[in-house]
Amino acid sequence: MQVFGPNELVEDVLKRDFCIGCGACVNLCPYFKSYQGKTAMLFPCTLSQGQCFAYCPKVELDLDAISSGLLGRPYDGSDLGNVQEVLVSRAGGKAESGPFQAGGTVSALVSFALRTGRIDAAALTDREGLTPIPRLVTDPEEILKCASSKFTAAPTLAALNQGRQDGYSRIGVVGTPCQVIAVAQMRLNPLNKEGFQDAVGLVVGLFCTWAVDTRKLTALLSDRLDASGIRKMDMPPPPSELLVIDTGQGKVEIPLDEVRPLVPAGCQICPDMTSEWADVSVGVMEGKPDRNTLLVRTDKGRELVEEARKAGVLLTEAMPEKSLGHLRTASANKKKRALARARDRRVLNTNDDGGRSALRIPDEVLKKILA
Amino acid sequence: MSHLVEGEPGSRYLLMGNEAIARGALEAGVSVAAGYPGTPSSEIIESLARTAEARNLYVEWSTNEKIALEVAAAASFAGLRGLAVMKQNGVNVASDFLLHLAGSGTRGGMVLIPCDDPGALSSINEGESRHFARLVEIPLLEPGDFQEAKDMVKWAFELSEELQSLVMLRSVTRLSHASGDVTFGELPEVKPEAAFKCDGFILDPNEGAVISAPVDYRHGQQHAKLKKAEALFEDSPFNIYTGPEKPELLVVTSSACNLYSKEAIKILGVEDRVGLLKLGTTWPIPPKLVGKHLGLTEKILIVEEVVCFLEDQVKILTAELGPQIGTKTFYGKRDGSLPMVGELNPDLVAAALSRILGVKTETVPEDYTKRTQEAGFLGAPNRELTFCPGCPHRASFWSIHNVLELDNRKGFVCGDIGCYTLAVLPAGFSTLKTVHAMGSGTGVASGFGKLGQFGMDQPVLSVCGDSTFFHSAIPALINAVHHKSDITMVLLDNSGTGMTGFQSHPGLTTDALGQDAPAIDPAEVCRAIGARVEIADPFDIETTQKTLLDLLQDKKGVKVLVLRQICALSPEKKGKKLFEMALDQEVCVGENCGCNRLCTRVFRCPGLVWDHEKKAAKLDEVICTGCGVCASICPSGAIQRKEAA
Repeated sequence: MQVFGPNELVEDVLKRDFCIGCGACVNLCPYFKSYQGKTAMLFPCTLSQGQCFAYCPKVELDLDAISSGLLGRPYDGSDLGNVQEVLVSRAGGKAESGPFQAGGTVSALVSFALRTGRIDAAALTDREGLTPIPRLVTDPEEILKCASSKFTAAPTLAALNQGRQDGYSRIGVVGTPCQVIAVAQMRLNPLNKEGFQDAVGLVVGLFCTWAVDTRKLTALLSDRLDASGIRKMDMPPPPSELLVIDTGQGKVEIPLDEVRPLVPAGCQICPDMTSEWADVSVGVMEGKPDRNTLLVRTDKGRELVEEARKAGVLLTEAMPEKSLGHLRTASANKKKRALARARDRRVLNTNDDGGRSALRIPDEVLKKILA
Repeated sequence: MSHLVEGEPGSRYLLMGNEAIARGALEAGVSVAAGYPGTPSSEIIESLARTAEARNLYVEWSTNEKIALEVAAAASFAGLRGLAVMKQNGVNVASDFLLHLAGSGTRGGMVLIPCDDPGALSSINEGESRHFARLVEIPLLEPGDFQEAKDMVKWAFELSEELQSLVMLRSVTRLSHASGDVTFGELPEVKPEAAFKCDGFILDPNEGAVISAPVDYRHGQQHAKLKKAEALFEDSPFNIYTGPEKPELLVVTSSACNLYSKEAIKILGVEDRVGLLKLGTTWPIPPKLVGKHLGLTEKILIVEEVVCFLEDQVKILTAELGPQIGTKTFYGKRDGSLPMVGELNPDLVAAALSRILGVKTETVPEDYTKRTQEAGFLGAPNRELTFCPGCPHRASFWSIHNVLELDNRKGFVCGDIGCYTLAVLPAGFSTLKTVHAMGSGTGVASGFGKLGQFGMDQPVLSVCGDSTFFHSAIPALINAVHHKSDITMVLLDNSGTGMTGFQSHPGLTTDALGQDAPAIDPAEVCRAIGARVEIADPFDIETTQKTLLDLLQDKKGVKVLVLRQICALSPEKKGKKLFEMALDQEVCVGENCGCNRLCTRVFRCPGLVWDHEKKAAKLDEVICTGCGVCASICPSGAIQRKEAA
C-alpha cells in the first residue's frame, strides 16, 4: 500500500473529482472538513505522508493488500467477496420498530451490539433536510434517528474519527462500500504507528450501486419539495426508474434519468456493491421491500447475528437460490463496469510512468473479472 | 498643554514635520481644522486638536475627506481661516468638491494640506496630489524643510486671502514624519467672528452666493488669480537658488527632494559645479525666475518623486523661452536618470549626478548588495507583515477563510482599506482578492453580486472596517440593497480607526476634541438600509463560522455580519487579558500528522512560537494578549484558556 500525503490527496482525489465525501479524512486533523456533503481542505499541509491519504478509498486503493491484511489471503475478485452465509432477515419482535428502509436489520443489529457492549459507540448517518450528517451515537435510543437510507454520499467516517479521538475502543460503523473500504484501511495501520489499536468493533456494510451528490440533489429538489420535511427516500426496484421521496405531505417522484447525472465520478469507479470488507453486509431483499438481504462475512458477524437471533431482535430465513443468483450478477456487473471505467480513465494499476493509481488489483484477477 | 502653544516666539524646537505644519496653522490664526486620518497626515489634526481649547479652535475628524474639505470651506465662507488635511488619495475623495471650490473661490484664508506617500510606505498607491492643483487650477506650495513646513503654512493662508482662492500645500512622508529644528514665530491674538454674508449681488466675491457658476465668469476670475499668484511667486522667499553663477548642471527640485539633492551635492563635493534651484511654489512655477536660472547652463536635472510634475512644467517653459535661452539637455525621470517609481534618497540623486557629471562615486561599497543578500539569507528571520497578537482581524479572517473553503463554491472577498488590508497576504490567510479605495470593497461586491445573470455562482463577500463603513461604504451598501445584489458584507468593527492610531469616527462616543459625541451604530444603519444583519464576536470562532455559513446559504439579497471586537492595541483594551493562556508541550501534536503546526505554521499569531528543541509550540507570554482564539483552533487541546480574573 503506497501512502502519500495531503498534497497528493488533493491532486488525485479532490482535483480529479473522485471525492465522494465519505469522511475518512475528516476530523483527523484541522485541515480536512466536511460541509454539506463536500469535503474541503482548509489550508495546505506539507506532510509527505498522512492518514488522510492512507484511509482514502479513492486513491492507491490496493485490494490485494486489504485482503491479505484482513483475511490473510490474496484478493480473488469474487462477486460478493468473503461470505460465510447469505440470509433473508428483518428486525425481530424484541427490536424497536422505526422508520426502517426495509426489514430494519441494520438498526436491530447495531442497537443489539451497543446494548450488549459489543460496541461502545456507533458511527452512523443522520439527516438534516437532504444533507447527511455524521453522528457518533452512544445511546441506543438514538440509533433509530439515523435509520433509513440517505442516497446521498455521506461523511459518516468523520464520526468514526471523532470516536477514535475521543477514546472509544469498540466503535461500530455503518457504512457504504467506499466507507467500509476506508475503515478496512484504517484497521490495517497503514502508517505503522507504534502502539496502534484497532478501535473498530463492528462493521455493518450497506449495499450500494451509487449515491448522489448532496448539493446537486438539493439544488435539483429545492423547488420541488421542502427538504426539511423529508421522512424517507426510496428507489423501488426496476422497472420503476424513480427516486421516491416521502415528504410527509405526499410522495414526490423524481425520474432516475434526472438523478443519475448527480452521481459523483468517484462512484463510477467503485468496484464494490456489497461492502465486501464488512463483518455483515445488508441490502434490500429483491422483490420483498420489507425484508433485507444479509451477508454474514466474518466470525464476528456470525456471532452477532446468532446472538441477535437468540435474543429475538433479528429474524432470519434462507435466501432463495434465484435471488442469490441475481445478487451475484448485479455485484459482478458493478465490478466489471467500474474496473473498465477506471482502466479507461487511466487510474487503474498505473505503472511508475502513469503516476499514482486510484485503484490497484492483481492483473490476473482483473483479467478474470473483465473477461 | 502642547509645546506647540507654549513655545515662545524665537525659541527653537525639534518638531516632526506635521507638528511644524500645525504650529504654522496656529501662527496663521487658523480657527477650523478638519481632516480624515491617513498616514502620513494624521498628526496635523491630532496636534491641532490638542491645542484646540487653548487656541479656541474647532477641530474635527470628519467622516471622510470630502466632508473635511467642506467643513473647512464653511469656515472660510464665514470669514475664518480654515484648514483641511488628508493623505494623498484623500484628495481624490475630496476632488469633486475641490473642483467646485476652486471655481467658487474662498473668503477667509483656506489651505488644503495633502501629505503624499512616495514609495507607498503606508499606502497601497503612489498617488500624487500635486496634479490636482494643476487640474483644478489652484496655487500649490511645497515646503523644502521643517522650518518651511511651518512658515509656508502661515504664508499659504495669507496668499489664500489675497487671492480669494484655496491654496494647496503638499507635504510628503519624509517631511511629515521626520523631525527637524523649527524656530517659532508669534501666535496671533485673534478673536475671530464667523458670519456668512450671502445677501449681496450674486457675483460679489465677499457677499454674494458662493458658487462656481456662471462658469465662464468664475473660471476667468480663477485664471486672473493664478496670474497674480504667478507674479507673487516670482519674488517668493521660498524659491531659493544656491550654487555657482555659471553651474555646469542646474538641479531643479522641491519638497523633501531638496534635502536629498543638497546631501547628494555635498557627498560628491560638486558644490562648485552644480546649482540648486529649490522651488517652494510649484504650480504655477514662476516663469521669470525659473527661466533666468535655466539660462545659466545647458544641462538641467529635475529631482522629484513619483510623477513628472516639475519636469514637465520646466520643459514646457523651456520650449516657451526657447528663443531667449536656447535648447537644453534634460535629465530626470523621463530619460531614466531617476526612477519613475518609489521614493528618492540621497544615493539615487548622487548616482544621477555622478553619471551626468562623470564623477566616480561610491555611496555604498560595491559588494554591499551581495553581502546584504548573503547576510539576509543566512541570518535574518523571515518577517512578513502580520497582524498584532490578539488582533480581532486574524480571528475574523480565520473564520471567513475557513467558511469560504467549507462552503466550497469558490467564494471570494472584496477587500477594503484598513489594517485588514493585510488579509491579502498570508497574515489574513490570503482571503482578500480585490483591494482598491476606501469603501470600494462593498461597491465592487455590489457589482459582482449582480453577475448571476451571466452565470456567476460564486458567493460574493466584502469586508469593511467601522471607520471605512462611515467614510464611504454606506452608499455602496445602499446600492447593493436597492439593486438586490446578492452579497455578504462583513463589517470588521474594532471600535476605532485602528490603522492610523485610534482617531475618532462617527461610531464612537468621543470626538476629536475628546468631547462626548452621539455614537452611530453601524449595525443599526445596515438594518435601516434593509440588509439582514447578524452580529458576532470574532473571538468566538465557532459562532462566527456558523453564522457566516448560514448567511452564505441565504443566497438572495444583502447580508451583513458585524464582527465586533475591540482592537488589541486600543487604549481601552491595552494590557487587559480576556484569558490566561497555557500551552502543554507534552500534549502538542507539533509537526506530526494530525496537526502539522497549525498554530505556528498557518494561524501564526506572533504570541505563538515554534520550539525547535522540543518540537512543540510555545507561548510568548510577553506579547500574548490573552484573546483565547488559539485555544479554539488547537486540534489537540494543548492550548488551554482560563478566564482572566
